[in-house]
Amino acid sequence: MVVRLMASADVVRARAFVEAQGLGWEAGCQDLVGAFEGGALVAVGGREGDVLKMIAIDEPHRSGSLLGELVGELMQLGAAAGHDGFFVFTRPPSAGSFEALNFTLLASHGQAALLESGGRFLAWLQAATAARRPGPGGAVVMNCNPFTLGHQWLVEQAAARVPTLYAFVVREDRSAFPFEARLRMVRAGTRHLPNVVVLDTGRYAVSAVTFPAYFLAKGAPVEAIQLELDVALFGGRIAPAFQVTHRFFGSEPGCATTLAYNEAMHRVLPSFGVVPVELPRQEAAGAYISASKVREALGRDDLAGLQSLVPPGTMDYLRSPEGRALVAHLRAARGSTR
Amino acid sequence: MKIARKAQAGTMQSSDLTVSVEPAEALTVEVESTVKQQFEHLIRKVVDGVLAAHGVTAGRVRITDRGALDYAIQARLETALQRAAGEAP
Repeated sequence: MVVRLMASADVVRARAFVEAQGLGWEAGCQDLVGAFEGGALVAVGGREGDVLKMIAIDEPHRSGSLLGELVGELMQLGAAAGHDGFFVFTRPPSAGSFEALNFTLLASHGQAALLESGGRFLAWLQAATAARRPGPGGAVVMNCNPFTLGHQWLVEQAAARVPTLYAFVVREDRSAFPFEARLRMVRAGTRHLPNVVVLDTGRYAVSAVTFPAYFLAKGAPVEAIQLELDVALFGGRIAPAFQVTHRFFGSEPGCATTLAYNEAMHRVLPSFGVVPVELPRQEAAGAYISASKVREALGRDDLAGLQSLVPPGTMDYLRSPEGRALVAHLRAARGSTR
Repeated sequence: MKIARKAQAGTMQSSDLTVSVEPAEALTVEVESTVKQQFEHLIRKVVDGVLAAHGVTAGRVRITDRGALDYAIQARLETALQRAAGEAP
């Protein structure tokens, strides 16, 4: 029988069990469950938010019903906490066991696979494709924190090369500018381009924040694996749904994470029949335009500097009451916001 | 009977199913099943019958089935409906 593991002695045993199963321990689970036999722990699973993780079953018990019991218990606890869909990241050979529990395989690439239960990703995809236009197209995926002249230039360049350009704005709200504001700035800054369709990514991105590393071998390149899985999800699910043949992105002279993401796109996209197109980054006054420079200029209250970095639509937002309040807040929190 | 709140019943064990219900404007039934290809129409028939018998006309009903037989589907759905209506389970 599956029970919640709450006593600290049980958590210590769970950790020892998970590590003995060749998995890494991840702290921060809101729920931890396990099953005992003859006083010994034989199975463990955890939940953090809507991600199920560290699901491990002792070899002799694997063919039985324990996986269903663990996952069922975690999903009930998760439902009680307000989640109605769940993700699992696992090794590709284990994906089939979750598919037997009605999970849907969303992406599998190299050492990692992503599955979901509850159908939210597919529901988002179906809803998003209502905005699809006939024929093939291209895509850009951007955070736009905030929307700069560099983003606008990238969109213009890309839109000139494909019949329809889908501009996906990353929904995940871990940026200084809230999603709704970023979406509005992108809409304002692309209104002059009739073949651009602005969309939000829903929960699509395989976020570095939620991507767990417990199932990867020690010393595995976690970041590269996470980025490749993200790109595989785009290439395998999103690109075909929108008939996307080309994905455009700016070259990255500075940020190591973006550079790694660009490299992952070059490695992975061609295997899905999507052509990666890297465009050189736009310069202003001899320096590269980046959203972080915009945030720095905001911090200094440097209006003249701002005007050389962002399009009028973004300026309008920054000057609006909502934008001013946000900028004041950013300035107060300066140093703590990336 | 009215679906007044979110509720669940069932397990993910083989030969069982999980039923989730929640309030919604219209009545929708979503079926996920390991035997969806062969039996989705029969699962829906049982679900529609139970919903009709309880006079449920609105709500989102989600079934995650692992090969449950009719009486299990009926029992799990009735339990979920009673929980959602606020009666004793």
